[in-house]
Amino acid sequence: MSDTLMRLTAVFHDVFNDDELVISRDTSAKNIENWDSLTHVTLIVKAEKEFGVRFTSAQVAGLQNVGELIDLIEQKAGR
Amino acid sequence: MNRQLLPKLLEYIADKHPRSRRGVEEAMRVSPQKFTEIAEMFLGWLVKALGDDGIQRAADAFVQFSTDVNLAQARYEVDGSYQNKSFAEVYANHYSQIDTMNEYLWGIYLTNFLWAHHTEISLLYADTFLAKLPATSQIVEIAPGHGGWGAWALSRLPQAQLQGFDISPSAIQIASSVTRAAGVADRATYTERDALDLTHMPQSIADGLICNFLVEHLERPEKLFAVVSHLLKPRAIGFITGALTAAQVDHIYEFRYESELVKMCEEQGLRVLQTLSVGPTRTLPQARFLPRSMALIVQKRCGEFY
Ligand SMILES: C[S@@+](CC[C@H](N)C(=O)[O-])C[C@H]1O[C@@H](n2cnc3c(N)ncnc32)[C@H](O)[C@@H]1O
Repeated sequence: MSDTLMRLTAVFHDVFNDDELVISRDTSAKNIENWDSLTHVTLIVKAEKEFGVRFTSAQVAGLQNVGELIDLIEQKAGR
Repeated sequence: MNRQLLPKLLEYIADKHPRSRRGVEEAMRVSPQKFTEIAEMFLGWLVKALGDDGIQRAADAFVQFSTDVNLAQARYEVDGSYQNKSFAEVYANHYSQIDTMNEYLWGIYLTNFLWAHHTEISLLYADTFLAKLPATSQIVEIAPGHGGWGAWALSRLPQAQLQGFDISPSAIQIASSVTRAAGVADRATYTERDALDLTHMPQSIADGLICNFLVEHLERPEKLFAVVSHLLKPRAIGFITGALTAAQVDHIYEFRYESELVKMCEEQGLRVLQTLSVGPTRTLPQARFLPRSMALIVQKRCGEFY
């Protein structure tokens, strides 16, 4: 598991209040019942804090799955 | 009426924007039958105005707009104040930008029924406000944006006429296309104009006035209520909505309490007949601010207490 995915998994556990949640690059709102528009923003703001990055609203709205979020984090963090 | 459009919208949202599905389902539950009627009416105009891919375009715009709003609210929770303070700044970066405004206005157009709390406002508008307007009303709409509210009024009142004023060129263009789609364009005119200049118009010209979600966009919102009061005939009524502790890129004036809006109305010669304050049922975790929308039905007083 990549470092980003590992740290992001911890953010998901916190936001969804579920330590058993397993996420992969393909995970999307279609697989996680409670991943609605508000949870999404909560997730984004926590990920911004965790990785020290800031996203634009267009980037946030366009994210389709965890893989795209990882790519965006890594691109912003210059990894 | 074409009954196929709502299922098309719902299917598209479930497939392309699954995160928005829950909110939409909440809106449908407010009043399933009326929700369907309002949705089919708005979607029918939308498809006529934008063509066959109108539903997809507007749904994408709705999701972008809702994300803007939710993200702005999350930043507001941290900062404790709205991001923008000056009208000039918002005008330059937003109202005057054609592409930004096109997407923004079609996004807002769908919030009138896809946000559950806004469905409640739409019901008050149609069932109470429009029901009180005289059939031959001269209506003024301030900041029509997409024009959906005015088109709705003209559809319900086949002899009424409407003059709309908005500062954004995109709003004039979109509102005109929506009234054309609704088949009421011969009774509507839209002019690019700052709302606060409308005190230069003749006094007491309106039997009904609509001004939705403008007041929080102004540096001096009390001036808008003076405009409303100037334009309404004595005892004529207006429908005004505003946002409280609800951040958005173009919100400037931070209303914190419902009474602030009521007081501004009263100080400008308006009697507040009815109010509705609504907020979303789901909020950010540990939110300090509930992003509320408030609707007021007001009446122009002809004396201090009458
Ligand atoms: C949030 S939109 C509201 C649109 C519509 N009334 C609704 O409720 O869905 C705000 C509208 O106010 C317009 N606006 C902002 N400042 C204005 C001003 N000073 N005078 C006239 N229109 C203004 C914008 O161009 C935009 O169309």
